[in-house]
Amino acid sequence: MTPPTDSAPTPDASGPTPSTEPAITARDLVKTFTGRSGTVEAVRGVNLTVSQGEVFGFLGPNGAGKSTTVRMLTTLTGITGGSATVAGVDVATDPDGVRHKIGVALQEAGLDMRQTGRELVVLQARLFGLSRADARTRAEELLELVELTDAADRLIKGYSGGMKRRLDLASALVHRPDVLFLDEPTTGLDPASRLVVWDEVRRINAKGTTVFLTTQYLEEADQLCERLAIIDDGTIVTEGTPASLKADLRARRGLDADPTLDDVFLDVTGRQRERRAGEVSEVAS
Amino acid sequence: MKTVLILGERAVREARRTPDALLPTLLIPIFFLIVNTGQAAKIFPTGSTPFLEGQSYAAFQLPATLLLAASFGTAALYLVEEIENGYFDKLRATPISRGSLAMGRLSAEALKSSLMTIVILLIALPFGIRIASGPIGVVLLIVLTAGWAVGYSGFLQFVALKTRNAAATNSAGLIFFPLLFLTPNFVPRNLLARPMEIAATLNPVTYMMEALRSLILVDLDWAVIGKGFAVVAGFVLITVFVNIRTMATYD
Repeated sequence: MTPPTDSAPTPDASGPTPSTEPAITARDLVKTFTGRSGTVEAVRGVNLTVSQGEVFGFLGPNGAGKSTTVRMLTTLTGITGGSATVAGVDVATDPDGVRHKIGVALQEAGLDMRQTGRELVVLQARLFGLSRADARTRAEELLELVELTDAADRLIKGYSGGMKRRLDLASALVHRPDVLFLDEPTTGLDPASRLVVWDEVRRINAKGTTVFLTTQYLEEADQLCERLAIIDDGTIVTEGTPASLKADLRARRGLDADPTLDDVFLDVTGRQRERRAGEVSEVAS
Repeated sequence: MKTVLILGERAVREARRTPDALLPTLLIPIFFLIVNTGQAAKIFPTGSTPFLEGQSYAAFQLPATLLLAASFGTAALYLVEEIENGYFDKLRATPISRGSLAMGRLSAEALKSSLMTIVILLIALPFGIRIASGPIGVVLLIVLTAGWAVGYSGFLQFVALKTRNAAATNSAGLIFFPLLFLTPNFVPRNLLARPMEIAATLNPVTYMMEALRSLILVDLDWAVIGKGFAVVAGFVLITVFVNIRTMATYD
């Protein structure tokens, strides 16, 4: 994991070009969906600033607005209100400019199952303007980075969940993006595959790429993120470093020991743990 | 244009890897050719049926077969699959034009349809069907059916983008059958009962069918062929336009 933004690692030659402006800003970001059953306000005034080189965690319960926020920042869904910039480019007015600067790995590792791993990465590289030869070279590098060289010429439909996630990551990196969006990159993975993805995220970040990560796993956020924000019901309820959030809760509650990030999450979202039939689950209070 | 070709190449590769999806699109139209010809060939003997222009009834039925084959594109269904599994979002997050996204698969449909037309013509030739308009006519047949394939797949792709649902997209494909049966499919337009003649005259598919039929039976009758090309051009322009518009506003 990289240290806080004021001492971010020096990007290597293959990383993005550093600059001083924030990697991501969101001001009063709003998204409403209108359907037959009425209007739903999925995101209700999100404000964010993510510095360059950070791994920023975006946490929240299901339906809190995490993915909708990511979809707005990655130009996949329109902004209803407010504004946002990614890598210095306005999301609403220059979506193409944003697309040039971001890598996206969404939930469920959306991949074309009828292509081989190599074909998929080459295709992605060519869509970002690389020549056929350069795309093949870049694919080779990335497949090696995510340890898929041996499986590169197999159809993706035969890949395991972990392999698909790593391939998705590789395809998001073809153009050396300034900002990488990872939407729940480890959901559904076994613990070993999850550790592999964490390593990849650290490696990518060490090259200077800003990482915006949504996750439901608080341990993941604790391990990977320098700063995080927790969103609930479409608004950000707290923001800070994992350590500062824990310290704050400890001070407020007068606890003897440091709480976990789970405790912070439950505290700010107003959820409680409940034991039902031997299982511990979270319920809204 | 480059990105259209890149995405088209991918769709062609995909088709090559799924022959089970491609074969029925060839076999079903040929089945209809055999069945329709078998049912009506005795009613319309070659020697005493002027509208056959000296050819067999199978030659008269061939345009319907070509149109049917060109209407069995897979672009829309694969698109729904990609919308459902998230790969479509991955493509949308790349800096390519929304027009390229719309046209990528459609360009592959044009190629697939051209190959399909060639295969059907090769199958038809041993049965005595000749293309009266010669090599130029064969090229025009291929271009017309490819254009129809782009237009019809474009229509289905539009339905796919709007509904994001495989069942709805599949059902929309069935609209071709009423359109086909409202054409002069079994006899020329002037031999249809008056209400059917009016319906056929109002149906744009009629002009496609008559253009194809003219190329097979008559020769290069530019007045008839021109109407077919005008219908295809209009159809392609409309469907491509709505596809690009829908891609651009897709949320």
